[in-house]
Amino acid sequence: MIQVRGLNKEFLGRDGADTGLLAIDSLNFEVRDNEFLTVIGPSGCGKTTLLRIIAGLIPYDGGEVNINGVPVTGPGPDRSVVFQNFALMPWADVLTNVVFGLEIRGVPKSDCKATGMRLVRLVGLEGFERRLPKELSGGMQQRVGLARALAVSPQILRMDEPFGALDEQTRRLLQEQLLRIWEQERKTVLFITHSMEEAVLLGDRVMLMTTRPGRVKEIINVPLKRPRGQETEKSTTFIEIKEYLWENLRSMQVA
Amino acid sequence: MAKVAAEAGKISPISLPGGLWRPLRGTKIEALALVGGVILWEVLGWLLEMPWLPPFSKIMEALVQFVQSGVILGNAAVSLQGLAIGFSVSLIVGLFVGALMGRYRRVEKALDIYIHALFISPSMIFAPIFFAIFGLSDLVRIAVIVMYSLFVIIINTATAVRTVDPVLVEMASSFGAKERQIFLRILLPASLPLIFAGIRLGMGRAVKGMINGEMFIAMVGLGALAQRYGSQFEASKVFAIAMVVLIIGLVTNWLVQTLEHKLTSWVD
Repeated sequence: MIQVRGLNKEFLGRDGADTGLLAIDSLNFEVRDNEFLTVIGPSGCGKTTLLRIIAGLIPYDGGEVNINGVPVTGPGPDRSVVFQNFALMPWADVLTNVVFGLEIRGVPKSDCKATGMRLVRLVGLEGFERRLPKELSGGMQQRVGLARALAVSPQILRMDEPFGALDEQTRRLLQEQLLRIWEQERKTVLFITHSMEEAVLLGDRVMLMTTRPGRVKEIINVPLKRPRGQETEKSTTFIEIKEYLWENLRSMQVA
Repeated sequence: MAKVAAEAGKISPISLPGGLWRPLRGTKIEALALVGGVILWEVLGWLLEMPWLPPFSKIMEALVQFVQSGVILGNAAVSLQGLAIGFSVSLIVGLFVGALMGRYRRVEKALDIYIHALFISPSMIFAPIFFAIFGLSDLVRIAVIVMYSLFVIIINTATAVRTVDPVLVEMASSFGAKERQIFLRILLPASLPLIFAGIRLGMGRAVKGMINGEMFIAMVGLGALAQRYGSQFEASKVFAIAMVVLIIGLVTNWLVQTLEHKLTSWVD
């Protein structure tokens, strides 16, 4: 379980000087075990900053961030990330990219390969394991990113607008694939998105954030049954929640 | 006929009209320029009869004599040995210092002014100082080569490491990578293309430093040979030596490029 209490984070000025401006202001929320929480909010609401704090990549200025009761002080083996722009190593083939986290953690080569191949198959990239990222489409590249994050068997998966750089059709296919994989291997997922459809389709709950400073406006329950898919988007509940999100976001958005 | 010529033009960089030029079709323009230059040189040499411009054939004659007498090979071996040692020092120190400067802002701030000052200043200025320090030793030649080639390698390596996509470093950190792992697994491979650009420039400068240093000491190597014949106004012999230096420059450049293509084939 992730617990965030009274979290504060200041914007850093040049040379790391204090600015006194809050990027995140007394943030409170919890993510339950094996819950899929989507986070949506206007640009600049500190979503990515929040993810990086939970990843242990950057420090915070006040409050608490606990994972299973333990304060976050740095990156942990229980967490991994799927990045918006894939963050693949362009010099390494698909399999090498997938097993990167395992190798960093000192897993023996033969085990790496076995796990790597299992994940390559899981994301449907069998036969592409010796290809370089530049030889793959954007969707395939992000499947490599997903496989790499899953390879280390994390309890918590953090996804930072993972499908934001993809076209609509690819995005939909990957959403379906992600849901399928999540049904098979339940994990706690913290998923940041700009897309209202995506937030409602994927999330058990949707966390709506305000901008400058970043605060939690509301956490909305999504009582749609699982497994979800194409049919889900036709239901009245889906449309109602989506409309509700838009009403809220619209009032915050500065065009 | 015109159609044939157009098709030939697709294969070779130039398209020549048919008929008279037909035997030349498919020849590369680079080769033509080279042959043209040599012919021009030869003709001008005979026509002008200037002592500083011997015909190309005279230079080749001098070169053949040099090779047969063993003078060139002996001196080239000495020169190449200095080049190998001096360039290796530049490469190791350059990669190490450059990587530290690229990764750590403080190291860069501290060293930047010195590195750039030494890069801009004419490297030969330091030759007398090296001579004062090392005396009549091979170390002078080697130190001059290092002066010529080190700083461009440092500057390029630092830029390369500094401009690595920070997302890749963040990705590695998110998996708990240690600093050493980030260096070896992310920063080094990601910087290779730019590092190689620096190595290639450094290699060219090292060859220059090799000859200049030897001309200064005037004891051993191709540079000393050039110095000796230069002072005797033996133009054809000086040109013959220049030809050998040119070949060394081309071969070393080719070596670096071959290695570069092997290691950075993933670049678009």
